[in-house]
Amino acid sequence: MEENKEQKGISGAQKSSKNNQLHKTIWRWHFYAGIIFAPILVLLAVTGSIYLFKAEIENVLYADYYQVEPQGEQVSVSAQLEEVQALYPGAIVTKYRPGEDEARSNEVTVSSNGESLTVFMDPYTGKSVGELKDDDRIMDKIEEIHGELMTGKIGDRIVELAACWTIVLMATGFFLWFPKKRKGFGGVLFPRFGKGRKILRRDLHAVPAFWLTGGLLFLVMTGLPWSGFWGNNFQAIITNSGEGYPPSVWIGDAPSSDIETQEIAEVPWAAETLDVPLSSVQGLIPMPIDKVVEIADQQGIYPGYSIFIPQEQDGVYTLSVFPPKAQDEATMHIDQYSGAVLADYRYDNYGIIGKIVAWGITLHKGSQFGLVNQLISLIICLGVIFTVFTGIYLWWKRKPKKGSGAPKAPAIFKTKPFLALMIVLGILFPLVGLSILIVWLVDWAIIQRVPAVKRWLNA
Amino acid sequence: MKSIRLLLLFFSSLCILSACSASEDAADLYKKEKPLQVEVDMPEPLSAETTQTVKAVLKQDGKPVEGAGFVHFEIWKQDHSIRYPMEEAAEIGNGVYQMDIRFKEDGLYYLEVHAGNEGSLVSPVWQFIVGELSEQEMESLKQGAPTQQEVPGRHH
Repeated sequence: MEENKEQKGISGAQKSSKNNQLHKTIWRWHFYAGIIFAPILVLLAVTGSIYLFKAEIENVLYADYYQVEPQGEQVSVSAQLEEVQALYPGAIVTKYRPGEDEARSNEVTVSSNGESLTVFMDPYTGKSVGELKDDDRIMDKIEEIHGELMTGKIGDRIVELAACWTIVLMATGFFLWFPKKRKGFGGVLFPRFGKGRKILRRDLHAVPAFWLTGGLLFLVMTGLPWSGFWGNNFQAIITNSGEGYPPSVWIGDAPSSDIETQEIAEVPWAAETLDVPLSSVQGLIPMPIDKVVEIADQQGIYPGYSIFIPQEQDGVYTLSVFPPKAQDEATMHIDQYSGAVLADYRYDNYGIIGKIVAWGITLHKGSQFGLVNQLISLIICLGVIFTVFTGIYLWWKRKPKKGSGAPKAPAIFKTKPFLALMIVLGILFPLVGLSILIVWLVDWAIIQRVPAVKRWLNA
Repeated sequence: MKSIRLLLLFFSSLCILSACSASEDAADLYKKEKPLQVEVDMPEPLSAETTQTVKAVLKQDGKPVEGAGFVHFEIWKQDHSIRYPMEEAAEIGNGVYQMDIRFKEDGLYYLEVHAGNEGSLVSPVWQFIVGELSEQEMESLKQGAPTQQEVPGRHH
């Protein structure tokens, strides 16, 4: 074990034994966190690498659905929605997305028999050019794996936990990597090729890992606002502080129409015999979606926006667009009766933290700076995969025949700086804190009491 | 040692239990719109061949709108057989804008109030009945939810 050899080299009697203990503790945590979260990290890196190219991939996969031949006048939006309604009787039309340019089809999202599907409409013929079930969208699957391992809430928490523990891995890894004495940049900034296999194995893990740290930390920090627990709380705190996203952009409710219910015209078909007072049909009637599209165009909403169609009497039309660049984002709520703009949130209206998060998200997705952005993110993803594999290889090669090869565990409380670090991380990322508590509990209840386990884990 | 564990447990549970959500007045901290609110006030019942006054009450930011940017009324019959061209409504104060009109015949009508003030544009459409409904109008009402799709010139 070259780590130990390096340690011995420093030897300053008492001081070194304390340092040694700290080193071992950190190494142990790095070791376990690495082994436990390595599979998830690889999964995230692989799915992330693919998802970076979502737009390009979908443009190829769904070219037949996306492309239409521009010719003459366009059919009105409401006529297109009527056509969809006729094709899918009983379905609820939930969303409409006008094509971002003349040669792009419009998308109508309907919810039918408990499943959601997109109908692609040719605005020139007013006919459907195809349908795509949400469940059949491969990129959605990739996103589901990346965000929640396809297991909903539990998966979301596991991914979040892995992301938080990646921070622990980087912090502990940084400590292990940090040069103990000045002896050049070999093994620090570049791997040492001529010093034997053991050293090279260590360097092939530690050196690229160091180079990746900044990028990976960025991906973790920009990914966390998406997460269900940390992310939601974070978003709530910054939104409530006035410095985040305005409400309804990420979390919080859309404003509701302030029209009184009795002012809305009733539909007499509810009462077959029409015994309802006829005066109740007098009142405000909902605005057609065509008018919403007009308003969106007047207000200069970035093309490629979606219109969410109100399903309740006091609901509102919500326009929203999250284009490649954060600065073009917009969320707008429009009264479904009067067409009044009830809220109009652009990037400029975000608080300072909201702006940073928005940039973080477009950078994370690789869309902010196009191809350069995608390639840098791809390199980080590939680097993560490489580092995970060299890490596991390192362990495999060092592992004794019997036992896990984990460094011997001194009590965590004896190493105060490390304890302090874990407490700070445990508070900043409560899931980390919670999982540390669980580790302690398992350690106390099982590992320390079952000799075979204790021996194998070197606890 | 125990106290440290307890402290940690306390902080962790605090963070987990305090799963917060956006507060209701968070919107006040960001850019706010001042949407125009229009309330239509029709005499009831309306009858044909007599002059009646239709009114709209405009409010913005909770206050009646004096000297609105513009308030135009547009009225048409459901089958488009009758159209009263867009006309400027007269302001009579306290946010009330009105227009006198004499309906030629009974039927199902629509009034669209085009109004704009201080950056907010609205055009609500009000469905109303003059006199008696014809069989055909009754049927069309039963057909389904009323929408402004009857509005002429909207298709493009």
